[in-house]
Amino acid sequence: MPIYAPSLPPAPDLRHGQPPAVVLMRFDLTRLWRQKIGRFFGFAFLAMLLWKIARIYVDHLLNTNQAFKPMQDFARTILTQGAAFQADLLNPASYLLWFLVALVGGGLVARDTLYRVRPLMYAHPVAPRDYLLAKLGFASVLPFAILLPFALLPWLMSLLLAGLSGPVWVTAPLRLLPAMAVSSVLMGSLAVGASSMASTPRAGIGWVLGLVLGAGTLASMIHHLTGFRAIDALNPVLLAEAWPQLLVGVDHPLVAWVPALVGTAAHIGLWTFVAAKRTQPSEAVL
Amino acid sequence: MIALDRASLRYGPILGLSPTTFELPDGGGITGLLGPNGAGKSSLLQLLSGLLPPSGGAVRIFGEAPFRNPAVLARLGLVPEGDRLPTGLRAGRWLRMMGQLSGLSGAALDQAVAQSLATVGMTDRAHLPFVRMSKGMRQRIRLAQALMHGPELLILDEPFNGLDPEARLTLMALLRGLAEGGVRILVSSHILGEIAQLTDRILLLFRGRLLAEGTVTEIRQLLDRHPVELRLTGEAQVLARWAVEQPELAALRMEEGAVVLSVRSPREFFPRLQRAAAEGGIPLRALDPLDLNLDAVFQYLTKDHA
Repeated sequence: MPIYAPSLPPAPDLRHGQPPAVVLMRFDLTRLWRQKIGRFFGFAFLAMLLWKIARIYVDHLLNTNQAFKPMQDFARTILTQGAAFQADLLNPASYLLWFLVALVGGGLVARDTLYRVRPLMYAHPVAPRDYLLAKLGFASVLPFAILLPFALLPWLMSLLLAGLSGPVWVTAPLRLLPAMAVSSVLMGSLAVGASSMASTPRAGIGWVLGLVLGAGTLASMIHHLTGFRAIDALNPVLLAEAWPQLLVGVDHPLVAWVPALVGTAAHIGLWTFVAAKRTQPSEAVL
Repeated sequence: MIALDRASLRYGPILGLSPTTFELPDGGGITGLLGPNGAGKSSLLQLLSGLLPPSGGAVRIFGEAPFRNPAVLARLGLVPEGDRLPTGLRAGRWLRMMGQLSGLSGAALDQAVAQSLATVGMTDRAHLPFVRMSKGMRQRIRLAQALMHGPELLILDEPFNGLDPEARLTLMALLRGLAEGGVRILVSSHILGEIAQLTDRILLLFRGRLLAEGTVTEIRQLLDRHPVELRLTGEAQVLARWAVEQPELAALRMEEGAVVLSVRSPREFFPRLQRAAAEGGIPLRALDPLDLNLDAVFQYLTKDHA
């Protein structure tokens, strides 16, 4: 292998780059997109999305065509159009989404720990804050981006097919998008916090799944032993499912307003704190 | 370029680096950071590369404190110890990302990636994933990422670990080339031979303390407690007779066809020896300093401070 190092080129201009957090986040997104896991989940979520849209189309057909009158009556009983239907637009993807967040998010920080990437990054003009922001951003943007078509496409289709009287409320996105944002940040912070405690990507996946399922089991046990319902706010899966229900106004949401607020804030705060502590330069020594 | 003023580093109750003071001048050159495992080399490098703030004292690089200081970090390149890189990634993509983190973009980024790959001789292998690269190749890529933004100071922590002899020599040649090009290089190692092949200027650390700084000869001359050992080859009897008359002689040992002298104050002894040999006063055929090398300096210093 030849060596060409008689002298260095003049120092390049370093002033035109993007913020480090954006660079890191985009790198992780591109990386996921190139991997098989990214394509698999892309296909799975696309299939689910198509199923939801097909349901709305069939609903429309049943509503508008008199030949389908008997079926229409039957469909009305199964295709509810109330608040629960709106909240349910995001729900079927919930467990698969948590699984994706665990698989992808579990390795986000742990991979950098395993390969000692953080000392390299921090020796560049990258602050720990940039690093944390990039990882939290990626882990939160991913579920949000996946949920986005689930909220918007059925709404758009319902609007096009049936106008204001369609199965999806005209105001549904205004309620679903904030709910998605809260749920996504909850998922992202938990995944990054858990990943920061692991030293390999596989261990990171284990940490995320362990925390999600462990917290859920603990909450369920305490709930059933004591009858104290608010403890369900410990369960991140229920919290993520409760937010769309709360914001669209379902009569009996999985978790009530106050426990949901407290539980979500506690989860986000705790896991962000853990991730921030575990990605400090002192944790990234040579 | 680098100035430490009683800079120390603590890990909780453990003192990683005692208060240390030294300066390295501007301009290119290689300085070896030498010391056994646990001597404090990595602690010192972490202070210099801005990964940790000093627990006491001050660290200045380019006149500023490096910790979380983008102005300093943009002018510094770090090659940490080890050769692990994310296995699934390709070198080219990785380098682009690291270049972007340094603030490069567009054509400047393309040019920097191409130039740094050419510098380390990896242009035609940049498409390979790290998992298919040898240790030497991965080390070159790590060096390329440190060079991409044109650093004035390059810090390498144990860069020769795990490299085969050929890759080691190649990397040494590369570092010498960079130093001649104006880059100040600080290389840490616990293997004396590596540093000795690379540079004569060293910083010697032992148990968290800086024991010596300077060239090997300078440091050796300061070690008065250990007389310099010289082997004079020639007519041993005549050489021995001349040597015992010298006031600096501490000990003498006869060998076949040679005499081994232990000499104090070599600065005064050497000119007299030179004169005597030039005037034909002694039948001297060869002169070998036995402990004027890095190995001996290291042994004496660490033994004295153990």
